[in-house]
Amino acid sequence: MSRVSALAASRRNTELGLVVFAGVITACGYTLSSLGRDANIPLNLGPFLGAVLGLLIAAHIATRRLAKGADSVLLPLAALLNGIGFTVLARLDAKRLAGLQATWTLVGVAAYIAVLIFVRRSNDLRNYQWTFLIAGVALLLLPFVPGIGRTFGTGARIWVRIGPIGFQPGEIAKVCLALFFAGYLTEHRELIAAGTWRVGPFNLPEPRHLFPLVAAWGVSVLVMVGQRDLGSSLLFFALFLVLLWVATERASFLAIGTLLFAGGAYVAWNAFSHVQDRVDIWLDPWSRYAAPSDGKGYQIVQAMFAFGNGGIAGTGLGLGTPNKIPEAKNDFIFAAIGEELGLFGATAVLLAFILMIGAGLRCALRADRPFEKLLATGLTTIIGVQAFIIIAGVIRVLPLTGVTLPFVSYGGSSLVANYVLLGLLMRISDSGARRLGEVPDELDPSEKRALKKFAKASKKAGKDATVIA
Amino acid sequence: MNSRIRRLAVGLLVAYLILFVQLNVLQVSKSTELNADVRNSRQTTRAFNRNRGPILSADGVAVAETLPSTDERFKFQRNYPTGGLFANITGYWSYAFGATQVEKVHDKVLSGSTTDQNVNALPNLFDRNLDTSGAVALTVRADLQLVARDLLAGREGSVVMIDPRTGAVVAMYSEPTFDPNQVAVHTTADAEKALTFLNAAPGKPLLANAYQERYMPGSTFKVVTTTAALETGGLTLDRVFEPENAYVPPQTTDPIENYGGSTCGGDFATVFAKSCNTPFARLAVELGAEQMVLAAERFGLNEAPPIDLPRPAASNFGKVEEFKDNIPLLAIRGFGQNEDAVTPLQMAMIAGSVANGGNMMSPYVVAETRDHDGRALSRAEPKVWRTPMTAQTAATLTQLMVKVVNEGTASCCLQLANGVQAAAKTGTAQLNSKGEPERSHAWIMAFAPAEAPRLAISVVLKGTTDEISAGTGGRLAGPIAQQMLDKAIEVGL
Repeated sequence: MSRVSALAASRRNTELGLVVFAGVITACGYTLSSLGRDANIPLNLGPFLGAVLGLLIAAHIATRRLAKGADSVLLPLAALLNGIGFTVLARLDAKRLAGLQATWTLVGVAAYIAVLIFVRRSNDLRNYQWTFLIAGVALLLLPFVPGIGRTFGTGARIWVRIGPIGFQPGEIAKVCLALFFAGYLTEHRELIAAGTWRVGPFNLPEPRHLFPLVAAWGVSVLVMVGQRDLGSSLLFFALFLVLLWVATERASFLAIGTLLFAGGAYVAWNAFSHVQDRVDIWLDPWSRYAAPSDGKGYQIVQAMFAFGNGGIAGTGLGLGTPNKIPEAKNDFIFAAIGEELGLFGATAVLLAFILMIGAGLRCALRADRPFEKLLATGLTTIIGVQAFIIIAGVIRVLPLTGVTLPFVSYGGSSLVANYVLLGLLMRISDSGARRLGEVPDELDPSEKRALKKFAKASKKAGKDATVIA
Repeated sequence: MNSRIRRLAVGLLVAYLILFVQLNVLQVSKSTELNADVRNSRQTTRAFNRNRGPILSADGVAVAETLPSTDERFKFQRNYPTGGLFANITGYWSYAFGATQVEKVHDKVLSGSTTDQNVNALPNLFDRNLDTSGAVALTVRADLQLVARDLLAGREGSVVMIDPRTGAVVAMYSEPTFDPNQVAVHTTADAEKALTFLNAAPGKPLLANAYQERYMPGSTFKVVTTTAALETGGLTLDRVFEPENAYVPPQTTDPIENYGGSTCGGDFATVFAKSCNTPFARLAVELGAEQMVLAAERFGLNEAPPIDLPRPAASNFGKVEEFKDNIPLLAIRGFGQNEDAVTPLQMAMIAGSVANGGNMMSPYVVAETRDHDGRALSRAEPKVWRTPMTAQTAATLTQLMVKVVNEGTASCCLQLANGVQAAAKTGTAQLNSKGEPERSHAWIMAFAPAEAPRLAISVVLKGTTDEISAGTGGRLAGPIAQQMLDKAIEVGL
């Protein structure tokens, strides 16, 4: 590293400080929850703290080397959320979940580093938009493949199991489809926005421009409705609408989309009993709390009890009873946080997501290529909307639709997908910094190789030319 | 695109603000409501895994304590070593059916969750055995409770003894009682079975009869009528009531008779000692409804007493409107019959007000609450609740009640050990109408020593057996009061 700009150095040092801080918070939380549960300092605290800090520092060093101009708060925020999630999971089930989540965190950080290594120029991803479309749809369809597809307890068919490893391919599919949308809209947004197709008094986009987009989105939504994965459908719809609106700058798409969504929701409500269930439970969970009703409101009522029990300051880690909430490790992890860390802790998590959204959208604003802007917007929307959907479901602002809380919930697929997403955001952010001249725009290794080759070739060609001449 | 991205940021921020608002609703404004929900087992589960402090009698016996649990579900089991002896005071603390009495009223102290206890516990945040549980010290003595139980010997009735100077309840026992251990078992089905049985059992064992059940007071009520007559009716002790066996009040032809239809008369001190009925009926009519109701209410009737236990019953005399056009009713209630209804506690307080120079103290059973280190969190402060009479009237009534012990209806059975002089009034309330088998409440209210009273007591026995119906209150309830007073003086009260 010959030249490191002062700005890049300061960003990376800020990041290092914040990452260490997140690590210390995690270690403190882990210790406190063990103390609260059985009043013992965990024996594995030393190795654990070392591993956590080691992982985070590895991610940081990779960023320092591979995306030195990137935003300084995204990685620490992810580390903090991941750490809080780990602490709560370790408290819920120290024997099994904690180890698994730690392993998945390792895989996630590896994926993050891999993204930074392999994706050097974010704009290049445009060239693979159709590949991403095919990959995304294929991943969504994977759970339907007999033999490897698995149906989840609630009836959602979103799992794939190959050998000992279970995976939710939909998590990665989201990122793939965001990549496709960003790429496609970059090319076609002006045509779509212009509306060259006159139907009566309306100027509509040419169907052939809109078709691939709507088809891709329609297939995805249908697949997810077919898999009974309402949360993902909702997330997907929001992602599609936001990108279309941001790309075309036409609010009418937002309005039409919202109407379409309302219509779709109404049809789904009429057609599917599980959708009706969700709405009914949202409106009145109490009447379905226990026998003689079907007990489907039990979970949400337990979550409300958990929040109530937590109060302002929380019961303290390890001192509450979050195990009373079914699925506290997944969809309902926010209720466990609300119980043991109280309004303070829950608000901290909300703030972490708000800051992450802010940092993500700042990447979008600072990026100067439309594709990067759209991609950063799409990725941030995934994180922000997904967290909103699940938190809103858990605290009864919206009907519950199960999705994971990004970086916090238990689950390998979700964690790895989110770290990939984070890597892409960091890459876009770094790219923005280079464009703005905040960081010297150095050649990446493949460009260096190409340059060398070219130089060699031109030297040779020059020689030959001289010879010819 | 940038303006749209900024709008998106604002949109998402607003969405998260909604989440923050709802979070506040759940965790702040509705927190108490959610925690109190009967379907919410979180608080109970936590409570059963925490130590809970003891309830101690005034003579140092743990009447409620916490033992390590033998079942897997919880760490602790609540235990009541004295069984039914304090059941109506401590109540029970159960997993599925909540808590009653002191267990309920002082739940926060016992579980260690009052603000004071929480603040004191802050330095111990990392202590393994973080135990903030407090203790409750009662004014009630286990030795006196035992004597009361032995004396009642299974007969339905109540014994309440207070210190008239402070209002501290030193004994409060009633039969039938129940064993709180049966309700405190962790298994919901077993506890439910016990409660169902107790609810159906005769004599309402779950009800604390001593302060939650009312009995017709009979002649003990004459203390109230006498007070009214002395204070506002110009009654003097030498007023002579001509002997008669019946009195026909205005507005009726139905005569009021003395006990057993006997002829009864003499100066007031004599008719009080002999407990004639007709003079008091006449006095009540002379005083009129307003004066009688006023006097009764100055004694705290028609209102629940301010005891530090849940749901005390209000004793009853009646309202002025009831008597306006019904003077015979006033006459009958003037000597404690008909719908007069007094709790044993209230009766002890009436005796106490005479003993305490006319001041009726607020009754209490909890002397002190303590934190885990034994420091006092709160201490009972004696308060005057009512002043039903002047000190002079109290002195006159004492004189009358001493005569009851020495020459009157209690002369059989209230001679205390070591020559201590007691003062008393007996009562026998007839519950049956003419021609029905006799049923009655046998009462005595008393205090001692007469010259400087430290103890006031009421005893009521209820029943339909020949033994009870045959006796006036003195013969049945008197010996119980006598032995209770002797025992109390013996232990130094």
